[in-house]
Amino acid sequence: MADTCPRCGFAEVASDKCPQCGVVVTTYRASLDKLRRGPQPGGISPFARGPVSRPESASVPEAPTGAPAAAPSTPGWLSAPPPPATQAAAPSSGSRQASFRGSGATLFGVHIVNALLILATLGIYYFWAKVRVRAYLWSESEFEGDRFAYHGTGRELIIGFVKAFAFFLLPMTLLNTLPEIFEASALVIMATRLLVSILAGIFIPVAIVGARRYRLSRTSWRGIRFSLRTSTRPFVSLWVRGWLLTSFTMGLYYPAFVTNQHRFLTSNTWFGSERFAFDGRGRDLIPVWFASIILFFPTFGLSWFWFLAKRQRYYAEHTRVAGARFRSTVTAPKLAWLTISTWIGLLCTLGMAWPWLTVRKVRRTFAWLSLDGSLALDSITQQAQQVNATGEGLAGFFDADLGFT
Amino acid sequence: MRLDWDAAYLDGRTAARRPASVHITRTGIDIALRESATRFFWPFREIRQTQGAYAGEQVRLERGGDLAEVLLVGDIGFLSAARAASPEAAHLHEPGRRRFRVGLTFGALLAAVALAVGIYYVAIPAFAGVAAARVPVAWEEKLGAAIVDHFAPPSRRCEDPARQARIDAIVAQLTASVQPRPYTFRITIVNSGIVNAVAAPGGHIIVFRGLLERTDSAEELAGVLAHEVQHVLHRHVTRAIFQQASTGVLMAALVGDVSGVVAYGLQGARTLGDLQMNRAAESEADRDGMRLLQEAGIDTEGMITFFDKLSKYEREHGGDSLTRYLRSHPTTAERIATLRGLAAAAPRPERRLLGEDDWNNVKSLCGELPEDSRSPQR
Repeated sequence: MADTCPRCGFAEVASDKCPQCGVVVTTYRASLDKLRRGPQPGGISPFARGPVSRPESASVPEAPTGAPAAAPSTPGWLSAPPPPATQAAAPSSGSRQASFRGSGATLFGVHIVNALLILATLGIYYFWAKVRVRAYLWSESEFEGDRFAYHGTGRELIIGFVKAFAFFLLPMTLLNTLPEIFEASALVIMATRLLVSILAGIFIPVAIVGARRYRLSRTSWRGIRFSLRTSTRPFVSLWVRGWLLTSFTMGLYYPAFVTNQHRFLTSNTWFGSERFAFDGRGRDLIPVWFASIILFFPTFGLSWFWFLAKRQRYYAEHTRVAGARFRSTVTAPKLAWLTISTWIGLLCTLGMAWPWLTVRKVRRTFAWLSLDGSLALDSITQQAQQVNATGEGLAGFFDADLGFT
Repeated sequence: MRLDWDAAYLDGRTAARRPASVHITRTGIDIALRESATRFFWPFREIRQTQGAYAGEQVRLERGGDLAEVLLVGDIGFLSAARAASPEAAHLHEPGRRRFRVGLTFGALLAAVALAVGIYYVAIPAFAGVAAARVPVAWEEKLGAAIVDHFAPPSRRCEDPARQARIDAIVAQLTASVQPRPYTFRITIVNSGIVNAVAAPGGHIIVFRGLLERTDSAEELAGVLAHEVQHVLHRHVTRAIFQQASTGVLMAALVGDVSGVVAYGLQGARTLGDLQMNRAAESEADRDGMRLLQEAGIDTEGMITFFDKLSKYEREHGGDSLTRYLRSHPTTAERIATLRGLAAAAPRPERRLLGEDDWNNVKSLCGELPEDSRSPQR
């Protein structure tokens, strides 16, 4: 019956059950309808206050028709049609850039207070500290006259950390050490070690998707949330297949592997009801990748920046959103200098200069990136999803940070 | 007091930014959208301020649940006006206090430094001492065995049961008086020119060939072993492991999230700091090692001569493999003077552990000595 899964956005649902996330489409739709028919508040301020309970990871790619807004007990899902009386929706065109308005000194001040509170609370404050740094960086980032906003909370992060610890780090550590403590045979120890490394390998992509899903869902611009709408499983299989193919082809598959990851993450990213599109192909990067590998040792590794810069430009040029296309002017010398000088600065100051270096890095990154063409924003509507921070906590263990902080 | 301000309104449902004008009242704000002439009222007690507390930020007010409505005001003067107009707006940020906040931040800087210093010099050593004392001996033994395997893989060990037995006899005599004795001491000789000896947790002691060959008598080796045995008994290495882990956490708290290169640089800084703290452990091992020698009836002069010899050699040939030992065992004149003072308290025994020929035989355990690696003295 359905062609698109209402829960995860999977495109080819032939039967009533989505092959990707396993949801039964009719049941899911019915429960959504039930929620949508809740009491409708009047006025222009229709949103629920206070905590709302939501079904696990509900996200709806299609804007619903009819009901103007969600009700006070709305679970999971808030969406609305375009407003009746807004200004004319003429898409503006031209080249747009984000800019960063903050300063390293202010960020350093935030950091100092954070450090004090982390020490005084024996580390518990760490999660709130992370939120404060992110909130600052987000809210000083401006695009088209509007700031980004970060909506994560320390409470969410600590719960994510505890869950990731209980369900991942603790079992893994036990699995790793128990056979030795009980003096199991060498074969058993070998087998559990192998199992642990396989499990860790599978958890890395889970962490990447989880962290990205969380961060996007806690980021907004003009009040509209970003989201990552897909289940985790296809990314894990993409990752495992990519690793195997990369090793079997002696690395030749690597550009395709990273591009597939990027395509998966980008084309499942949404800004409200607007989906990002990526049309790059890994094979286009093979020549530059090959050349930079050949030149790796003669250039003391600097040729790698050539590949990285080309990849950034290529990825930008093949990414579209709301009718506009990204463009990047980054070059290998620029990227190499930014990266190396940041390392040197951090090393020489034992990390104390990170607030200034982070601000500098964000400024440069914004300066290199632009969004060209007509940008149709006015038809974009809110479509948020319910996400927890377990993946974020997991990513903390792998040091798999995406972007800044 | 100005009560009317320009603002922009985001409804939380669309990406449209709508110009609005805001009027401050005693209990809240009146918002009027320009094009649609829609008006609505936000009571102060339902308003959250999420941006606008730092220089360069605009004022962002939110109302509602997770996907809130948003009101953006470019001018931070709005905040002062709202606070002045109503006591219910006291939770909004006061821009007039920013200067005061900068002062507080400086205070926080001083407090953070003081707290960090206190944690580093008081809390961490105390914690490490308490924690190390509670580690079961069996765990220490396992850890020690792993460290020995790392420093001295079986292929690099010098295996000579007859000569090893003479060395083990020295250890037995040395540790006879130790009560209680939870550890079984095991000496491993490594075929490497490094002049060093390492105490691993759980009674494992590694002696490198370079050190063995530079001793001129059994008493000199006994001096080194007495020192290392005390490291084991005091659980210095186990404690150092706890200390290292805790300083790592402390560094992370001070510096924030760092990875890769910076973590590596921090490692260096940490090692320097730890060395500083290890001085205390070293003098403890010296003092109690000296006592051990005296109780075992072994001539303490051997320990002193050997450390003295090392420090002279260091001055003459700065920067060779010897310095490795010195870097972790600072052989200052002060240290030797302390040892002399301790030694003077007890009479010197008449009997020597081994004759000179016997000792030359034992110390060539790793094979015949090449002429140039004989002791630096004589």
